[in-house]
Amino acid sequence: MKRGPVQTTLLVAAALVLGIMILLPFLWALSASLQTESALFERPPHWVPDPATTENYKYVFTGDVPQAYEVRGLLRSPVTQEARTLPDGLRNSFIVAFFVVLINLVLGALAAYTFARERFRGGQAAFVFILGSRLLPAVAVAIPIYMILRELGLLDTKLSLVLVHSAFTLPFTIWVLTLYFQSLPREMEEAARVDGATRFDALRYVVLPLAAPGLAAVGAFAFLFSYSEFMFALLTTSTTNAKTVPVMISAISVNPDASYTLIAVGIILSVAAPMALALVFRRYITSGLVASLTRE
Amino acid sequence: MAVATATRPAKRFRRSSLYTWGTILPVLALVSLFTLFPFVYAAVNSTRQRILTIPYHQPFVGLENYREVISSDTFGVAVRNTLVFALLTVPTVTALGLGVALLLNQRVRGFGVLVALVLLPWSIPLVSAGIMWRLLLHGNFGSLNGLLMQLGIIDSYVPWLSDPDKAMGAVAMAHVWREFPLPTILFLAGLQTITPEILEAAWLDRATAWQRFRYVTLPLLKAPLLIVLVYETMIAVSVFDLVYVLTGGGPGTSTTLFSWYAYTATFKFLNLGQGAALSFLMTAALLIVIVIYMRLIRLREESA
Repeated sequence: MKRGPVQTTLLVAAALVLGIMILLPFLWALSASLQTESALFERPPHWVPDPATTENYKYVFTGDVPQAYEVRGLLRSPVTQEARTLPDGLRNSFIVAFFVVLINLVLGALAAYTFARERFRGGQAAFVFILGSRLLPAVAVAIPIYMILRELGLLDTKLSLVLVHSAFTLPFTIWVLTLYFQSLPREMEEAARVDGATRFDALRYVVLPLAAPGLAAVGAFAFLFSYSEFMFALLTTSTTNAKTVPVMISAISVNPDASYTLIAVGIILSVAAPMALALVFRRYITSGLVASLTRE
Repeated sequence: MAVATATRPAKRFRRSSLYTWGTILPVLALVSLFTLFPFVYAAVNSTRQRILTIPYHQPFVGLENYREVISSDTFGVAVRNTLVFALLTVPTVTALGLGVALLLNQRVRGFGVLVALVLLPWSIPLVSAGIMWRLLLHGNFGSLNGLLMQLGIIDSYVPWLSDPDKAMGAVAMAHVWREFPLPTILFLAGLQTITPEILEAAWLDRATAWQRFRYVTLPLLKAPLLIVLVYETMIAVSVFDLVYVLTGGGPGTSTTLFSWYAYTATFKFLNLGQGAALSFLMTAALLIVIVIYMRLIRLREESA
C-alpha cells in the first residue's frame, strides 16, 4: 500500500483546499478589520489591506474616530459608539466564563467522584436526571428561566449568566469526569483511605492530580460554552454591566450605523480567545470529545 | 445493648450519606432550578392562553395552543424549511467530516498542523461565525463575490443573503463550515483504532481502495457514524444563533427555521403558550428522530 508521487500530490492538494476553506473566513475578517471603509467597498476586493490601518482597533479601545471616517457628505462612513462597548463585553465574557469553569471544576469533580465510586440509593436516578436535563432545547426553557431570574432580581447581572451557564455545562462535565474517574485504578485511593484519609482527601490528593487531563478538557468545554452562549445572554442582559461579547457583536452587526470594518474588528476580538484556547488545549479537547461521545 | 449495636451502623451510614448527597445536591439544585422547574412551567404554559399583551386573562385551553400553531401558515413553512435545512446540512457535514478524517488519517508531513486548524471553526462563538460569513457573503463587497468574479464564474455580484432562493443555501454553507470539525474528530478517532494490518490484509486479497473503504473501514466506523448523525440532526433542527445574525428568518420566510419560529412566537408576539407548545413539538420531533436512527442502525447490524 505504498503511495506514488501522484497520490501524494493529490493528498497535498486536497489538504491545501481544506486549509483555505477553514481559514478564508478568518483571514477575510482580519483583512477587513485592517482596511478603511472605502477601500473595503472597492472592486475587485483588496485581499491584502491597502491602505492598511489599525485605526479601527484604536477607535474601539480609545474612541479616536478614524480619520477616514471624517470625510463629509455622502461618502462619510458610518461609525457607532456601540463598538466602543466591546472591551466591556470582553471583560464580562471572561469573568462569567472564569466562574463557570471554576464551578464546573469544583462542583463537577465532587459530584462526579461520588457517582464514579459510590453506590447509593437514588444515585442512579440522580445521575440520569442530571444528564437527561440536557435533552431540552434552550428555547423550551428560556422564558421560565427569564421569569425565575426576574423574581430573584438577577436580570442583567453576570451572576445570573454564571448560574445558567453552569446549569447547562455541569451535566456534560459530570458525564466526562465520571467516566474519567472510573477509568482510574482504585488501589491508590483505597490505600489512602486505609491510612485514614477521608473521601474528600482521596479526591483532593490522589484522584485530582491523576485526572488533570480530564479536568483540562471539561474546563475548556465549559469556557467555550459560556463564552459562546448567545440566547440567554441576549434575553437576560441589557447593559454593559453584563452583556457578553456575542450579544454585543450581534447588536453591532445588525446596527445600520456600524461600519463593516468595525464589525470585522468585533469578530476578530471575539474569536481571538477561544481560538487560542482551542489551539493550546486541543489535545485535551479532542480526547475529551472522543471519550465522552464514544463510550456507552 | 441491642439498641446500641443497631444504631452504630446506622449512624455510620448517615454520616457517609451526608457526604454523598452533599457532593451531589448543589448540582441537583442548579439543574432543577434551571431545567426541571422551567420544563414544568413551560408544560403548564403550553396548555394555557398566555399572551403577555393580555396579562389578566389566562384561561386553561387544553391542547388549543398545539392545534393553533400546527394549523398556522408559518408552521408548515417552518417545518419544510427545517427539513430542507437538515437534509442539506446533515449529510454534507457527515460526508465532509468523514472525507476530511480520511484525508488527515494519511501520514503526510505537515498534516499535524491541519488537525489543529480543524478545531478552529468549532471553537468560536456561533454568532461570530455567522457575522464572519455575512462579511464573506455580502452583496456589495463580499469577498466570495470578488473571488468568484476574479475566477470568472459569475459576472456580477450576487446578493447571497437577500435573495430568497439563495439565502437558505448560504445559511447552510455557514453551518457546514462551523459544524464539520466535530464529526472530523470523531471519525479520525475511529479511524485510528483500525490497525493497518486489517487494511493490508484486504489489500493483499486484491480489494480495491473503494472495497477496502466500503467493507473494512466503514463498518468499523458505525459507532461514530450514529453519534454524528444524531448529534448533527439535533444541532440542525435547533439552529438559532446563525439565523439570528445572518438572515433574521428572511428574506420573507425563506430561512424561518423551526427554532426561529418558536423564538419569534415567544419573544416577538409574546405568546408564551404557543411558544411553549412549539418547543415541546420540537423536543418530541428530536426524540423521534433519535429513536429512528437507533432503530435503523440496529436493523442494519442484524441484517449484516
